[in-house]
Amino acid sequence: MTGYIIRRIGVSIIIVLGVSLFTFAMLHVIYPSPVLDVLGPHSSPPAIAAWNHENGFDRPWIVQYLSYMNNLLHGNFGQSYKFNQSVYTMFANRWARSAYLSGISLVIAVLIAIPLGIYQAVKRNSVGDYTATTLAFVVYSMPPFLLAIVLIDVFALQLHWFNFEASQSLGVLTVIADWHSMFLPIMTLVLLTVAAFSRYMRSSSMDVLAQDYIKVARAKGLPERLVLTRHLVRNASLPMLTLIGLFIPALLAGNLITEEVFNYKGLGLLFFSALGQGDYNVLLAYTLVGAILTVLGNLAADVALTVADPRIRLG
Amino acid sequence: MRLYRTTRARTTCVLAAALASATVLAACSSSSTTAGGTGRGGSGSGSGTAAALPQQYGSVPLASADTGKSGTISVGALTSAEPTWIFPVIPSANGSVYDQYQFIQESWRFLYVTFNGAHPEVNPALSIANTPVWSNNDQTVTFTIKPEYKWNDGKPVTSADALFFYYEVKAALKENPANWSQYVPGLGIPDEVKSVSAPDASTVVMNLTKPVNPQWFLENGLSLMLPMPVHAWAKASANGPVLDPSVPANAKKIWDFMSAQSKQVSTYASNPLWQVVDGPYTLSAFNATTGDYTFVPNPSYGGPHATAVSTLKVLGFASEDSEWNAVKSGALDVAEVPSADIPQMSAVTGQYNDFGYPAFGFNYLVYNFKDTTGGFNNIIGQLYIRQALAHLQDQAGIIRAFFHGAAGQAYGPVPAIPSTPFTPANALTSPYPFSVPDAISILKAHGWTVNPGGTDVCANAGSGPNQCGTGIPAGAKLAWNLIYDTTAKPTVQLAQDFVSEARQAGITVSLQSSNFNTMIQNYNDPSAPKNVNKWAMQDFGGFSINAYPTMLGIFNSTGVYNVGGYNDPQADALMNASVASSDPNAVKNEASYLTQQQPSLFQPLEDRVWVWNKKLSGPPDVFQSLTQFQLFTEEMYFTK
Repeated sequence: MTGYIIRRIGVSIIIVLGVSLFTFAMLHVIYPSPVLDVLGPHSSPPAIAAWNHENGFDRPWIVQYLSYMNNLLHGNFGQSYKFNQSVYTMFANRWARSAYLSGISLVIAVLIAIPLGIYQAVKRNSVGDYTATTLAFVVYSMPPFLLAIVLIDVFALQLHWFNFEASQSLGVLTVIADWHSMFLPIMTLVLLTVAAFSRYMRSSSMDVLAQDYIKVARAKGLPERLVLTRHLVRNASLPMLTLIGLFIPALLAGNLITEEVFNYKGLGLLFFSALGQGDYNVLLAYTLVGAILTVLGNLAADVALTVADPRIRLG
Repeated sequence: MRLYRTTRARTTCVLAAALASATVLAACSSSSTTAGGTGRGGSGSGSGTAAALPQQYGSVPLASADTGKSGTISVGALTSAEPTWIFPVIPSANGSVYDQYQFIQESWRFLYVTFNGAHPEVNPALSIANTPVWSNNDQTVTFTIKPEYKWNDGKPVTSADALFFYYEVKAALKENPANWSQYVPGLGIPDEVKSVSAPDASTVVMNLTKPVNPQWFLENGLSLMLPMPVHAWAKASANGPVLDPSVPANAKKIWDFMSAQSKQVSTYASNPLWQVVDGPYTLSAFNATTGDYTFVPNPSYGGPHATAVSTLKVLGFASEDSEWNAVKSGALDVAEVPSADIPQMSAVTGQYNDFGYPAFGFNYLVYNFKDTTGGFNNIIGQLYIRQALAHLQDQAGIIRAFFHGAAGQAYGPVPAIPSTPFTPANALTSPYPFSVPDAISILKAHGWTVNPGGTDVCANAGSGPNQCGTGIPAGAKLAWNLIYDTTAKPTVQLAQDFVSEARQAGITVSLQSSNFNTMIQNYNDPSAPKNVNKWAMQDFGGFSINAYPTMLGIFNSTGVYNVGGYNDPQADALMNASVASSDPNAVKNEASYLTQQQPSLFQPLEDRVWVWNKKLSGPPDVFQSLTQFQLFTEEMYFTK
């Protein structure tokens, strides 16, 4: 197991380095320097040259890349040219907020989706199954921004049950305590995630229910409750581990829409803003963080699978 | 002047540049309307409202007779436009109207404020300096600082403070031409200033290198200057001694120190440097992550203000949608309404007053006079072609259909609204009103075989009065491309509408989608000459312009913003006269000529619509000035 994890970490590092190199190279091909975005499209050539020199954009791109990576290793993500702040500071002020929104939404969604999927599998083709399936399709096919706008309009502007925007506090504990403001953004992500996860869980459960060991358990006279809890849940949940692992970076990206609609100053919103303004270093850093999260999510899913399913043999 | 895309898009960006007192802003709006009259929509006007401006949206109530009380005025702002600079000498990278007028101007006031309500003109009451006096054949200007203005530490605002700004601009520009967003090489401040002096504590004398148009220099030069506290800021370190900024070496040290301080965004509210102010407010809180910031009243402010000045709290919003939700929930006192939400105005007019007016400027479809593809340069070089194209733009219909009535028609670079003394007579009503038959008649009269729905062909080549024109061969077709910014909804609609109208006259315009940043970087004759044959027309938005609306820089043959390479010696002469001659009608003559010549296709100007809590009152012009990016909340007060 240890060797396996070490190998996977080694591969992960190579992948992250590859992604960083590719991203950096592509960005430089289409966008050699952000100087015109920063100084304006009609800046004089001397001003452009001075700015490029001052910020190192007049060096060969591979030198710039090595310099960038060296800075990264020293915790320096560069400076946001648009917001006049260090990218590290901008990420530091936002990551916990995004992590909370993503994390709590994922946890709640999983806690709902797993029993819901099992229920639908066990009671398939029942009224309850059809109802859950219909709702899941409706929500799943709905763009996140539309769902968010509907929730705001109904529950914030019409009924006044919740705030129209997410918590504006920078302290995570304050954000957690502010359920009045956080309910709707969390619910938006939860509904979207449940709609997707419950379908996977339903399919997985139906597969497991058709397995011989379930039939044997029932033939032995094991109560249905124990059949489900001892034999079905664990086996049917294995695909969910992979799904959750893959969903970690997706939740970060998914926050972009939710954060934008709910005015929640997190990483997704930062990326959205940087994209619109060509904020070079923020874009690079966000892409790298996304790559790292993707690799880590996969790694975590693989390790969790090996722990949860002894049938998986490690080479 | 400011370059902008056709949408409010405060979201973005601010690209700075340097031109006639220019800050390039990648974001704003535009549109059109029906003629004359009062309210075009919104909550309407009544007996208790201020005199209506032509084509205004909504109305502004008269000031309450009640002297009012103070409170906290919450104002919505987009986080993408949050302040990133605080030292008043603003580099191009940070030069947005929001930073300048809705942040820095709250604490430090310009010598001359060039907006009076919705009108682009000097506002003497809000200006720190008295009206300048000219002498020496318009080569020397003298002005005095009003005695009622003081720094909040008790020291008077002096002529030395005004000149401090000038010295720092020179020092900043010496390091990098991009260090002052308003810099235009060779024009105005500082390049046309030969010497400066302060004969006494309140008087400033500037000797210029040559005679200038006084109005131009006032509105495009002096109005950019802003007194800064020498006694507090003329330092090379936090605890260092006060230096003489007139010594260039000292000015450089000061610039290096102050600009470094200005880059520390998170310290804006805590750095004691920024607490020395002469404006109505002192910054008390600033959150660089949320974009929220708070100003508290400066009790020693010498300018006009309410009896009890309210605290100003600016709240950052990630998007127009989230800001609009805040308006609908009643969480904001003052906010701009996204153009897309204007049809929903009835949802908020019970709680809010509303007023809309275009920001001073123009929107246009740019012609590329250097594009030789299909001989387009020769085709668009013909005045009659440009006139025919102008006849194909249905401004009234556009305003009705796309802008919900919240826009004003515009026929030249200087629009009819907001009103200015410089609007020429031929720009008050359309010189080339919408009429497809008129466009067809013009084309036929010049030797074209018109094929409505198809493509017109030159049948009578030559340079005679009834022929196609110089350089246009027989068989030439009226067919070209139009590149447009798809990120701004009005631009898409305007481009598609123009294509549709043109087709009725047999002009085939192929749409090619792009985005604002790509367009201004790649489809621009002065800065991207290798692409001159890749585009015939483009629509990226337009410009907001200064109170003295010369087009020098935009339509002169060497202008850095002359995107389409327009080249007309007579226009050049008129633009140069606007800057250098003493003729008060010079800029009006220039605007009249350009309106007649149609160097581009001028489009409707979209209103900037604002709403404010009905509990807020104040002089009507304060609310009207919101449409011009000006935020004078110090004159607002709560009535209940």
